Amino acid sequence: MSFVRAESGMKQGLFTLLLACMAVLPGAAAAADLPPLTQGLTPIAEPKPAPALRLTDLDGKVHDLADLKGKLVVVNFWATWCPPCRREMPSLERLRVRLEKQGLAVLAVDVGEDADTVFSFSGQLEPAPNFPLLLDQDSKAMQRWKVKGLPTTFVIDPQGRVIYRAVGGREFDSPAMIEALLALTLKQ
Amino acid sequence: MNSRLFALLSAALVLLPGLPTSASQTQRSDPETGAASWETHAHGVTLLLSQIPPDPARAFYLNRGFPPQAVEPYATACVYMTVLRNDAAPGELSFRLDDWRVQSGGQSLPPKSVEAWMAQWRALGLTEAAQIAFRWAQFPPEQEYAVGEWNQGMLTTGLPPGSRFDLIARWTVAGKTYEGKLENVVCAR
Repeated sequence: MSFVRAESGMKQGLFTLLLACMAVLPGAAAAADLPPLTQGLTPIAEPKPAPALRLTDLDGKVHDLADLKGKLVVVNFWATWCPPCRREMPSLERLRVRLEKQGLAVLAVDVGEDADTVFSFSGQLEPAPNFPLLLDQDSKAMQRWKVKGLPTTFVIDPQGRVIYRAVGGREFDSPAMIEALLALTLKQ
Repeated sequence: MNSRLFALLSAALVLLPGLPTSASQTQRSDPETGAASWETHAHGVTLLLSQIPPDPARAFYLNRGFPPQAVEPYATACVYMTVLRNDAAPGELSFRLDDWRVQSGGQSLPPKSVEAWMAQWRALGLTEAAQIAFRWAQFPPEQEYAVGEWNQGMLTTGLPPGSRFDLIARWTVAGKTYEGKLENVVCAR
C-alpha cells in the first residue's frame, strides 16, 4: 500500500512539509545533545602518497590534488544530509581564511549529490565556503580513499603524502587545530 | 497517523529526560518530537541510540529517490541514529557490526546489515544515487577510531515497531575486546 496515497489531503500537506524538512539525516538531536566536534587530528604512523583526486566543482571546473603539491591540503569528504558534516563546514572555511596565506588549501568532496543540491546547501552556510566543492557523484573517489563514514578528513603534506586523518566532525578552527596546522605550514 | 502521534506522546511521558536506567546509562526524549534516545559510556567510549520514527525515516529516503514501497520495510525496521565515539579508550578501537548483538525475546542477533539492505535495493533496481545516499547514511559496518574519532549514522535492528531490546556493542583495542550495553531500548512506532 502506498503510504502517500493513504494520507488525507491535510495529512498529505503535513507530509510534504515533513519531506521538505528532511534535508538532513533524521534523529539528529538538539544541539545540546549532539556529540561534541573533536578538536584534534590523528597522525598517520607511516605516511603514504595520497590517492588520486581529480573531480569537477559546482561550475564544472576540474580540480586535481596533484596540482596542489607544495601546499598543505585539507581534503574533506562530506554530504549535505550528514549532520556532523553540516556542523563542521563553517569551521573549515574559517580555517581556510586563517591559514590560506601560509600555504593551506581546502578541497571538500561531496559524495553522491548533484551540483544544485550542494549549491543550495552551501548558500545557507555562514560563512559560506570559498573553497572548491567537488562532486563525487558515483562515490568512486571516496572508495579510493577508503573512507568508511562521513565526515572523514585528510591532511596532505606538501609532498603529497597523507599525514593526518580525522574521522567524525571537527572544529577546524579551534586553537588546537590551528596551532597544529600552522606548525605544518611553517615547516614548508 | 493519530495513533502514531499518541504512541510518540506516550513514549515521551514514560521516558523522562535524563532518567538513569543503570550505572552509566541515561535516556531522554526530545521535547519536540518525543523521539527517545539512550546513551551509555563504557571503557572510554560513548554509545548513543536515538529513535528515528517511521515517518522521518520515510521522508528522508523518499526525498532521496526511494519509491514508497521500497522505503516501507526500512522505515518500520526499528531505525536509530547511532553514534559511537572514542572519547578516551586505551588506544585506537576497531569494531564490526556483525559482532554486536540485539537481544530481544530470547533471541540474540546482529543488527540488520547494510549489505542485506543494499541487496534489496539492487534487486528492486533503485537508482545509483539512491543507493549511494543509503549506503553512506548508514552507520559504518566496520570502522576504526583513534581517540576523538567518531561516526553518526543509521542502524536498523530489524525488530517490529514497539519492540524492546538490549544492544551489546563490542569493540577491540590492542586485541582486547570491550563491551558497552544499552538496556531496555524501545523501537519507535
